[in-house]
Amino acid sequence: MGTKMKVKNSPRRILYLYWRLYSQQLKAMMEYSADFYITIGAAAMTQITGFLFLWVVFSRIPDIQGWGLWEVAFMYAAIYVSEGVGSLFFEGTWRMLRLVNMGELDRYLVRPVPLVLQIFCTGIGMNGLGNILIGGSIIVISLSHIDITWNLQTVVMAILLFVSAMTIRVAINLAANCSAFWIRSGGNAFPIMIHNLGEFAKYPITIFSQGLQLFISIVVPFAFVSFFPAAAMFGKEPWSYWGWFSPLVAIYFVLLALLILRIGLRRYESAGN
Amino acid sequence: MLYSIKKIHREGRGIPLSLIETRGLQKVFRQAIKDPGLAGAVKHLFTQRYKDKYAVEGIDLKIEEGETVAYVGPNGAGKSTTIKMLSGVLVPSGGEIIVDGLVPHKQRMENAQRIGAVFGQRTQLWWDIPVRESLGLLRDIYQVPADQFKQNMDVFTELLGMESFLHLSARKLSLGQRMRADLAAALLHDPKIVYLDEPTIGLDVAVKHRIRDFIKEMNRSKGTTMLLTTHDLGDIEDLCERLVIIDQGRIIYDGKLQEVKDTFARERTIHIQLSSPIPDAEELFRGLPEVQVKRSGDPKGTITEPQEGLALSIRFDRFRCTASDIVKRVMSRGEVVDFRIDEPSIEEIIRRVYDGKLDSAALSAAGKGSA
Repeated sequence: MGTKMKVKNSPRRILYLYWRLYSQQLKAMMEYSADFYITIGAAAMTQITGFLFLWVVFSRIPDIQGWGLWEVAFMYAAIYVSEGVGSLFFEGTWRMLRLVNMGELDRYLVRPVPLVLQIFCTGIGMNGLGNILIGGSIIVISLSHIDITWNLQTVVMAILLFVSAMTIRVAINLAANCSAFWIRSGGNAFPIMIHNLGEFAKYPITIFSQGLQLFISIVVPFAFVSFFPAAAMFGKEPWSYWGWFSPLVAIYFVLLALLILRIGLRRYESAGN
Repeated sequence: MLYSIKKIHREGRGIPLSLIETRGLQKVFRQAIKDPGLAGAVKHLFTQRYKDKYAVEGIDLKIEEGETVAYVGPNGAGKSTTIKMLSGVLVPSGGEIIVDGLVPHKQRMENAQRIGAVFGQRTQLWWDIPVRESLGLLRDIYQVPADQFKQNMDVFTELLGMESFLHLSARKLSLGQRMRADLAAALLHDPKIVYLDEPTIGLDVAVKHRIRDFIKEMNRSKGTTMLLTTHDLGDIEDLCERLVIIDQGRIIYDGKLQEVKDTFARERTIHIQLSSPIPDAEELFRGLPEVQVKRSGDPKGTITEPQEGLALSIRFDRFRCTASDIVKRVMSRGEVVDFRIDEPSIEEIIRRVYDGKLDSAALSAAGKGSA
């Protein structure tokens, strides 16, 4: 087995291929510019109304279990932004049902490129751009209202938590959509259900029962997308140290998602000609 | 992978592996059993019953480097499933595969780098971008060096006549154009092995020839090993010396095209045109075994035979008497104006195999005889 046999996929090559595949999708997408603006606008509107609702709630009550308006707004927006990143850059996970049922994975599987990369680049969810813009703005505004001393340490920490949070979200999307290998019909119901669990993580999870807290911390760790990073950033004892597990949770869930994909592929049946 | 290779090596006792080798290859699909109607669907929600369907049921196949092999069989025989396992798309349910020293589904990317695949009705190209850009993208995916890319593009464009549609997106191509572009896409990185699943399906004669010439040229000039499934007998006769017939997930014949013809296409029909009718022509062949005579006066006679009794169709087994025997006997009684000999088409032979009219044991014996 010679050396030339190995397919080398350096991080640089992966990024380059991602860009190549992604920009092809973008080009194809630009042809339908009307849809483009409408989807972005619709996504932004949903978030603004959500945030207004939050604002109304907090105008009546001062805090939720020790969390103020801007702190909750931050978590709220963190979930939105992660959803946006998942849509804008990794929308392909949501196309798995089609890839599996229509046998379109065949094409991906005969190429010397990681399957996950090809799945990611199967589509682009422009609505994600709206999520990121509005969600990002809310995060910035929230942080300006919250007392954090910004220094090198907190900046690095914030970046680390952010990257982990986005990774966890994408890994959850991937794992949930692998249901396509098991559930042949019924559309996206299962992954959408998993997706909606993210709603719980928009609030301090201490308001929920113990079981639910554990569920969204360990089984489907949305709490590590919003609640735990927020607790770590804002120094919310006794939860703050939990936030430091974020990178580990990210690694754990990525591996889990890849494992599920692998097991799913054994069940892949392609489609008849 | 090491485990599997070792196993095959051990069993093979030092005999080198073929380029493609499978042993007892199986694929089982699970099918839901549903009773008809809404009631059946509701019932299925609660009591799920499944049955296992063997799409491929124990296939032993060896293909050597540089061979062009036709893999034929009726719809649902397991052709595509085999190809998809060989190319690393499907994970086998049992048995072993080694392709160029690799286990395709385990070393998927390494395997992918050295194979090309054309899956008949599904395109490898990007739907919305020009063919030229699709090929450029594939160049990056397979890391084809610039000079090799340019050379292949020039050759393929010429051989496949792609110049006129390189600037169009796959969406806008005709079926024939798309298939040519797909072939180019599959061979761009000079793969060692190419799997072609129905490469000429639905194409007109001119495009078919173009594609066959291309396949032959690649096999000749680059030594590319080709495994193709097809329903087109022209493809088989034109491209392949070796024929593998599969039915219900099993190989029922593997050998030379000529041998299957010798074994199962023994009968010939001589069509003779006479200047004047021969009464009781049947009497001519008394003593010759299994000879059947048909006259143009029979209800099945065709309009090209104008006068009753002037045309004879004589069917015989070419291993039991010779064509000259037949013609000599006819000539002894009348003047032969014209004659021609028909042999059964491969289509006919394969159809018989499909219909189960041929004894599969005899077939496999013939196959072994050729090995």
